[in-house]
Amino acid sequence: MPSSPEPAAIAAIAPRDFGVVCRAWNRRLHFYLGLYFLFFVWLFALTGLLLNHGSWSFADFWPNRKVANDEHAFVAPPGGAPLDQAHDLMRQFAIAGEIQWLTTRPDPNRFEFRVSRPGTNFEIQADLKTARAKIQRTDVNTWGIMRALHTFTGVRLGDRQNQRDWSLTTLWALAMDAVAAGLVVLVLSGVVMWWVLPGRKLSGAIALIVGVLVCGWFVVGLRLVYR
Amino acid sequence: MIPRFYAFIRSLHLYIGLFLSPFVVVFAISVVFLVHAWMPGASSPAEKRTATEVAIPADFESLKGREQLAAAQVVLGQLGVHGDISLLRTIPRDRRYVMTVGLPGRETSVDLNVAQRTAAISIRTTGMWDATVYLHKMPGPHNVTTRGNTIFMIVWRWLADATVYLLLFLTISGVYLWAVLKTERRVGLALLAAGAVSFGGIVYALVA
Repeated sequence: MPSSPEPAAIAAIAPRDFGVVCRAWNRRLHFYLGLYFLFFVWLFALTGLLLNHGSWSFADFWPNRKVANDEHAFVAPPGGAPLDQAHDLMRQFAIAGEIQWLTTRPDPNRFEFRVSRPGTNFEIQADLKTARAKIQRTDVNTWGIMRALHTFTGVRLGDRQNQRDWSLTTLWALAMDAVAAGLVVLVLSGVVMWWVLPGRKLSGAIALIVGVLVCGWFVVGLRLVYR
Repeated sequence: MIPRFYAFIRSLHLYIGLFLSPFVVVFAISVVFLVHAWMPGASSPAEKRTATEVAIPADFESLKGREQLAAAQVVLGQLGVHGDISLLRTIPRDRRYVMTVGLPGRETSVDLNVAQRTAAISIRTTGMWDATVYLHKMPGPHNVTTRGNTIFMIVWRWLADATVYLLLFLTISGVYLWAVLKTERRVGLALLAAGAVSFGGIVYALVA
């Protein structure tokens, strides 16, 4: 029968082992999150660059858009909230996407809205009196799709008129949240990995502090200086 | 040779990652506000004041583009208003220039009346969270010819670009550092594939 270790020895080993296990899992978490979110991070990083450089002609998608106009008859949707009416019309026109309300409705017979999804926009102008609708479809190329993916949330700060109403927009918004949370966890786990690394504390602290100071200058420093 | 290269990439990954950490956190936190159109804390009410006897360059109205923005910055300095002009709207009939001036955490509106040499100023402090959103969106795709008329915005544009390039380096070097570890390959590959499938699946569903 093997002899069991002394209680004092267990007490000395256990906390160290726990620390080792935590460090190993922290390292794994750093790898795993980075690998899982790799394509998401690439998309948001590259499209962020495109958004900041609107003058890059190779990514200029708007002049190359394709516009198609069509007219459809429809069965007048039953009364109800504008959102329900819009969904009813979209079902009839076989259109799916995020609804955007652009204008107020001065004429109750005019029913206008936009349906958008990355790469495609539909401008719908329905006349409830004649039961006919003009539909303008605009398609953009891959650069346009990529750019739209960066900002496709269905909502805007300060815009109370539009709420998310398409399940796929909600899914994409959740993916954006997950990427953001994942990046924060990647940062924290990376900091832990650096902290437990022997011989790199001072040099690492310098890199981190320089980053904090430069970034902090923009987030709070400018406002404090220019009171 | 390989251990030396590995050690070099690992050091670069470490130091660039640490330097970039606060930038990544700022971009990540602001995502939540942008995605949910929600901002914690209410912004303070606007402080309003009117300046008189404003010294406006004689050729201000005939200037165009960047020259006019530079002249407008001189006028703003005189009014004690600091920030990047993100919008400059001209109302020729009234000889008025309405400017939106942004600084992270503060938004100022200046209505400059050239004929009367007055300026109505409205300053709203929007706070630190809004500052992260402002920085996330700046300089951005809109008003390209206007934005970037201050040193801080020019530097921020450069830093925002640098964040992207360095983040790309971190991802590529991270993949390399993982690929070298034989013990983590199976799980890592599975997660990489799972990430690719979820990414491709959602994008396909959105676009197709």
